[in-house]
Amino acid sequence: MNVIHVKNLTKRFEFYRKKEGLWNTIKALFYRQKLYAEAVSDISFDIKEGEIVGFLGPNGAGKTTTLKMLSGILYSTSGEISVLGFTPQERKTEFKKQFGIVMGQKSQLNRSTTPMDNFLLFKEFGEVPDEQFNLIFNELVDLLGVRGFLDVQVKKLSLGQHMKCELIAALLHNPKVLFLDEPTIGLDVIAQKNIRDFIKKYNKLRKTTIMLTSHYMDDIKELCNRVIVINQGKVMYDGSFAKLVATYATDKVIKVSMNEVVKKAILDTYGKVEDYQEYSALIRVPRADVKNVAVRLMSSDLPLEDVLIEEMPIDDVIRVMFEDTKKSPQE
Amino acid sequence: MFSSLRKQIKQAAVIIRFAWVRQLNFRFSIAAYRVGEILEILVLIAMWTSIYASSGGGMAIKGFTLPEMITYVLIGNLCMMLTRNYLPSLVSRDITEGKLSMALVRPISYMKYVFLNEFGRVAITTIMAVVSQIIIISFFLDKIVINGDPAYLLVVIVMLLLAFITELIMGFIIGTLAFWTDEIEGPLTAIDRIKRFFAGGYFPLSLLPIGVATFASYLPFAYSFFVPAQLYLKKMTIQEGLMGLVVQVGWITILSLVLKIVWSRGLKKYEASGS
Repeated sequence: MNVIHVKNLTKRFEFYRKKEGLWNTIKALFYRQKLYAEAVSDISFDIKEGEIVGFLGPNGAGKTTTLKMLSGILYSTSGEISVLGFTPQERKTEFKKQFGIVMGQKSQLNRSTTPMDNFLLFKEFGEVPDEQFNLIFNELVDLLGVRGFLDVQVKKLSLGQHMKCELIAALLHNPKVLFLDEPTIGLDVIAQKNIRDFIKKYNKLRKTTIMLTSHYMDDIKELCNRVIVINQGKVMYDGSFAKLVATYATDKVIKVSMNEVVKKAILDTYGKVEDYQEYSALIRVPRADVKNVAVRLMSSDLPLEDVLIEEMPIDDVIRVMFEDTKKSPQE
Repeated sequence: MFSSLRKQIKQAAVIIRFAWVRQLNFRFSIAAYRVGEILEILVLIAMWTSIYASSGGGMAIKGFTLPEMITYVLIGNLCMMLTRNYLPSLVSRDITEGKLSMALVRPISYMKYVFLNEFGRVAITTIMAVVSQIIIISFFLDKIVINGDPAYLLVVIVMLLLAFITELIMGFIIGTLAFWTDEIEGPLTAIDRIKRFFAGGYFPLSLLPIGVATFASYLPFAYSFFVPAQLYLKKMTIQEGLMGLVVQVGWITILSLVLKIVWSRGLKKYEASGS
């Protein structure tokens, strides 16, 4: 069953252009050139119940704009949107009780009170019955391990603790659909992993349909079987994450650490050296060659301490994809 | 139906309680405001006292004796404290900082939440203000006019209740200016000053030419300061007071319509651009 249905969705923003300088500023008081930009342009996709879908794209691609339209914050310019059978921009209370949203850049908690005070308020917003609240609340608190700081002012929490509380606030009413906009932004590696693990467990437990945007390859790799890639408002790819990697992650990255200084020129013979430091380097190697290069490295007499093979960063994967489609437009 | 009503009351109670919890975090700020306001009132009293002294003492200025003027300042300010709110800055901040986005997707209407929250917030500052105001009044007990006439007091109470509602709606409307401009501070301050002037907050409106005073009585502002203070002083009749209530109800109707239109227009603009 499709929980989210989007067809030919377009969002056009108005904006003004103004030349620099005082005279032009004065002129702009009387006349400004009105321009339009398409943040989202004719996109279509469907999402089934229980799916976790990753929404990828560079900054300004239209990811957040799409999430805002899906949640009813923004009006669309044209096209169809249906979430759980509702039209989001009508903002019916029944609809709002069935989805949750977390924006990494926009807190919904009041900073001068404690998380617990906030949760009790959100419980009332969602008109959650006491019994249901106790059950869900305790489940969330245990899964996220936040019991220790429920009574500390929100502004005193670390970024990771804060994000955990944002998640609880968004989930207290047991939504069927959850929109996550950069939920791990700015967090350290451990906090990122905690949030990720939670999302995974929660999805399994409650079968909540989740749509998330992220910059981190690990978030997407661990959570999403399916990804939708957009750039300049258009869908570039919609399919399995594994296929995306196989098709566009043409290279892998070998991370080497050394206990003596090795000249860059020597490392250059193994592949394209990126981020060269005295005791470490990243060597980019075509996927097909990675095994051979690794063997060559290991059997060399370089003073190696550690060798790690990783996927290339998500932004690079997307870049390859964009360059590829520029070369041979699909449509 | 009863269970739905009970739910509504419970929801309102939680929101008001939350506003209290939040407000009590700003103890220092509340206390500081009080000190400022007390000083302002004392300065006004000192000013009128010296004006009366220089004009020969015992004289009346446009029908106001010194005790009446002191009463006007004290009672008028008390009325203002009971009816004011901070919605202009709250609503405009929610709009410019984009907090409105998150508020719009909550299952509770933003307007309902803001009104309830403001009711709670104002309750705390009002209690503080009223307590300190009563303390000041008690120092001037022998210098002010005491009115215990229940008919007058009843009209004043109803007037203040309506003034509270009027001010809430006006505050919300002023706050929505932020939909159209980011530079909200200037307009807010200007509006505040104009409101205060027409409310009789600087001096009694009856000191002005009769035309201006009459004009002001048809505006909504005078009912949170000048008119209730005049009624208390019995410088207005009960009939005039009742007429005032009618004017207030008229304004509440008009302003509610304005709010509805302004809010839906502003929201359209916000939803088109978002932030």
